[in-house]
Amino acid sequence: MTIEQRSVGSVTILDLNGRLVLGDGSGLLKDKVHSLAFQGHRQIVLNLGGLSYMDSAGLGELIASHTTVSRDGGRIKIANLTKSVSDLLTITKVLTVFDAYDSESEAVKSFGASS
Amino acid sequence: MSTAVGPRLDVHDLLGPRTVPITKSEFTIGRRSSNDLHLTGADISRDHAEIVQVNALYLIRDKGSRYGTFVNGSRITERTLSHGDRIELGRGGGAELVFLVNDAPADNADPSIGGDLRQMSMLLETLRNMGSGRVLDEVLMMALDSAIEVTGAERGFIMLPNERGALEMKIARGTGRLSLPVGGFATSRKIPEEVYASGRERIVADLREGDLLQAHQGTIAMGIRHVLCTPLRLVRYLDRIDAHADPTSIGVLYLDSREKGKLLSQATRGALETLAREAAAAIENARLYRETLEKARIDQELRTAAEIQQALLPSPRKSAGFFSAVASSIPCRAIGGDFYDYLDLPDGKFGFALGDVAGKGPPAALLTAVLQGIFSAQAFTQDDASAITARVNRILLSRNIESRFATAFFGILTPSGELTYTNAGHNAPFLFGRTGVRRLETGGMVLGLFPQATYAQETVRLDHGDLLVVFSDGVSEALAANGEEFGDERIYGALAGFLAEAPDQLIERLLAAVHDFTHGAIQNDDITALIVKYG
Repeated sequence: MTIEQRSVGSVTILDLNGRLVLGDGSGLLKDKVHSLAFQGHRQIVLNLGGLSYMDSAGLGELIASHTTVSRDGGRIKIANLTKSVSDLLTITKVLTVFDAYDSESEAVKSFGASS
Repeated sequence: MSTAVGPRLDVHDLLGPRTVPITKSEFTIGRRSSNDLHLTGADISRDHAEIVQVNALYLIRDKGSRYGTFVNGSRITERTLSHGDRIELGRGGGAELVFLVNDAPADNADPSIGGDLRQMSMLLETLRNMGSGRVLDEVLMMALDSAIEVTGAERGFIMLPNERGALEMKIARGTGRLSLPVGGFATSRKIPEEVYASGRERIVADLREGDLLQAHQGTIAMGIRHVLCTPLRLVRYLDRIDAHADPTSIGVLYLDSREKGKLLSQATRGALETLAREAAAAIENARLYRETLEKARIDQELRTAAEIQQALLPSPRKSAGFFSAVASSIPCRAIGGDFYDYLDLPDGKFGFALGDVAGKGPPAALLTAVLQGIFSAQAFTQDDASAITARVNRILLSRNIESRFATAFFGILTPSGELTYTNAGHNAPFLFGRTGVRRLETGGMVLGLFPQATYAQETVRLDHGDLLVVFSDGVSEALAANGEEFGDERIYGALAGFLAEAPDQLIERLLAAVHDFTHGAIQNDDITALIVKYG
């Protein structure tokens, strides 16, 4: 998996590409988000459009990232969920934990509305 | 330096190194001052030994000394001396002499080298056969002892890189096959590290010269002047890529001496080169062998763990008057992160659970065992499925294992056919009923991540013949070689036409369908299924 970082205004966007799974770059997302939180980024959108697959370990990492940012008073929103990722979040019933948006621009906009 | 040619003794004792010519045909040695060589030292007798010339030969004879006379490490009463022989008077507190007759290098092509190497490979073979984990230590010891004996060095050590690539002293030995404390070998790391990095031998004729003086004050104070340090290089390549900068350097052999003796002679160095090459191969083989052993040990432990894990699961078949159940759990590695359990609850109720801990292998398996234990303990509290599941969630959370979570399905079936269940983030089971099929989704989030999580429960009335199929994502997400998932539809498809069959046959059908689908692909997750038939 690869992660690329961009900014739209005050919102930090991470583009996730590849497979978020056990072993294949495990911890990459968690570390990245941890470092962003440490640098004071509070508004983060994870663009999951390029994520072809996520397993349960990947889900654990996604949730851990969410917890890290929330603990620092920030917010993680997710956008562009592929069907397999959306299915996993639905089955495990954690979709409600995240703010999920159909598109990146909606996710970015929602930060403006809430701040 | 002395230019003396002729019989002489290089003397090392408390007075420091010096050369004494043997000027008489009966040359006496001892503590008494009238001796030709007058030595002090607690181990030295008044009349300790003498060196006698017989024709062209020199003999050394012990004169009944208290602590003995040794030549090249062996105690003697009388022995013919040859050029380069080491004579020790007493042990430890005595003196050491080196007998020299000319300036020619000592015997080249030392026959003991070949013998030592043969001995080394024999020992290696023996140790292998015995399955010893000490092969590497033994090989290092033999290589170093041989090197010390071949060169006549006083002491030496071997350094090998650790996992981080930093050199570590593995063994240190002195003449006479003496073990030296690895930590107590006082010398600078400067020379071995240079040699290791460059892969080139380094010979120092005098440590007091050049840039080495500063770093070697301690060594020089001990009277040590001469150093030979050679890389242990692997000449025969193995079929693997070594990450190291110099793939052929596996370590360093370091020798030093107060006595120049044979250490720096051309012939000795040639012999040492052969020895270093053979030693490198033997050390590398021993190291690989030890890794293999270590791996075998881990494999054995995993097999044991797998047996224990299987033993933790109940026997796969269970039935009472009102139900029959069967389950199967196939880990994708030796041990897995899935479990199932059956519980005989009060009032004749039948409890069952199927869970899946995120991740695979030993870390997941440990948590699986905990989760299974918590479930079975909580199930007897008489609470309903919802309260039990909420408590399991809180207990897991209190363990605070970051980003580790579990999904689980927990059901309680009464003899009258009431099924109460909670689904904690688990793949929704199929309920095949007379009126059709439905999925059991009521419940809450995955276990172990959210303190605020709540778990709803649902009660479903079952008719005779109704069939419940619970499975882990290893079933629904089993991958074919082309990357396609088995999927929920295929689970339905594998069973829908055969609902009248017994659970045993149905689970066979399901597993066979998964097996056929993934045909030839490596199992990518633990596969667990549980089928309960009511009535």
